[in-house]
Amino acid sequence: MISGESILYCLINAGIILLLSPLFLTIVKKVKARMQGRQGPPLFQMYYNIVKLLSKEVVYSKTSSWIMRTTPVVCMAVMILAALFVPVIFIPESFGGIGNIILFLYILAFGRFMISLAGLDAGSSFGGMGSSREMSLSAVIEPTIIVVAAALATVLGTLDIFEMISKTSVADIATMPTLLLISVSLFLILIIETSRIPVDNPETHLELTMVHEGMILEYSGRNLALMELSHAVKQAVYMGLLIGILVPFGIINAGSLLIPGIIIAAVLFLIKGSVLAVVIGLFESSMSKMRFFSIPTLFMIAFFFSALTIIIEVFA
Amino acid sequence: MISEIFSDVVRIILVFILITAALTISTRTLSALVRVYSIQSFLIAILACVLWGMLQEDTLLLIAAITFAVKVILIPSFIGKIQKRINIRRDLEFNYLKPAGSIVVSLGLMLMVYVVFSRVLGNFAVVNPLFFLGAVVGVSLMLMGMLVTFSRKKTITKVMGYLSMENGVLIFGCFATELPLIVEVMILIDLIILVILTTILTVGIDSSLDEYQERLIQYHLWPSEEAKE
Repeated sequence: MISGESILYCLINAGIILLLSPLFLTIVKKVKARMQGRQGPPLFQMYYNIVKLLSKEVVYSKTSSWIMRTTPVVCMAVMILAALFVPVIFIPESFGGIGNIILFLYILAFGRFMISLAGLDAGSSFGGMGSSREMSLSAVIEPTIIVVAAALATVLGTLDIFEMISKTSVADIATMPTLLLISVSLFLILIIETSRIPVDNPETHLELTMVHEGMILEYSGRNLALMELSHAVKQAVYMGLLIGILVPFGIINAGSLLIPGIIIAAVLFLIKGSVLAVVIGLFESSMSKMRFFSIPTLFMIAFFFSALTIIIEVFA
Repeated sequence: MISEIFSDVVRIILVFILITAALTISTRTLSALVRVYSIQSFLIAILACVLWGMLQEDTLLLIAAITFAVKVILIPSFIGKIQKRINIRRDLEFNYLKPAGSIVVSLGLMLMVYVVFSRVLGNFAVVNPLFFLGAVVGVSLMLMGMLVTFSRKKTITKVMGYLSMENGVLIFGCFATELPLIVEVMILIDLIILVILTTILTVGIDSSLDEYQERLIQYHLWPSEEAKE
């Protein structure tokens, strides 16, 4: 049963994530630039980019089909749907299956599937290469992600992300120290899923390093704007999940829903997200791009921590 | 109430120690490996202090002090010095297992330790879960160190594995049984000797004695004749 509260939740949650995600992406860029001794883009650069792209002409390759045309919209829709799964402001009652972590993971997988198809669709060799790499990576990372989800479910005793976050927001991290281990895994998955160094380099169009950039190379105009925005939203969603698990304070329960509470929660999310974005930027600056075949080591570390969590929870 | 806070802190430290153990297995840069080791030792020193807060045994404070002096400062700086001289920065060669494989194996090892300990120690796990966890982490760390020792090819990284093995023994000693202080001190002396021996192994076990001294001079580990004058 969908109530007024659920609708309010959908609007606020998706709205906040959509609004703040470009800012987080720019903060990461800015931190990286500063670490390299450059000035970096202004904080609102990505908003300007999106506005500019929206008014540009859209060009399609001659070989492309309807996949190329629908993918940006599908991706954006998928990401907004995924944004509903991770409460950042307040936690409503579960409704309509929203909040199930397995559904969440496979909705994101669907988005990735569409992007990979689109990479192949344009007929350029770069796109094909990007898609092939993306598919091999996602085949390797899927077991890891599922184990991380399983570890979360074991520690918090539920498959529902809403319930998970409402549990972590009342409990102390000290009573569940294994959440620290899961947070390491989640952080690595955040890095891998959003195509950052050491897995992929979001800044170059060098054929040697391209994964994500390769697939969206053929896009232009408003389609490119949608692709970039959906990528930013994906990062913000994963950040929201990590924040909800590790530092959930400030997220309010639906019972005590008031305007000032919402504003405070939004500001806190902005602050926590910015700090996390700075951490991501620092992490990225301290690493170099890994060779493609040594990337599974990174997955193994994430896998190790979550499997370890399960062992500790089950046996201790 | 206070003891609850202490046991929470102990659990968090144990989790961090496990993170450093995983890093010891997967890190390839030598300087980072040494840094991970000294962080791990530092965590153990803090752990010993917290345990002292819980148990009020003065031996633990001494262990913390010795660990800090020797393992956080002395050994890492010495290995760092050797490393600079012999000019090896990264360890890329592995025997039998690559890091990804080692991590999986170490997971299996931890599982095994859990199962074995819960059978052997019986209701100790129920009576005192915190100390049970500590013992398991200690022994697992030891086995993971062993894994590092045999999967790495360079002598200097093998030594890092051995050192983290010893950290595991120390954690186990802090939790499960009362390791006499004298044993701990003896082990530390062993470690220092081991690190000194490492110079011999890394600089050249394949050389005759004369050649060995020449190499020492060559790597500036021995004052050369010209330098004396």
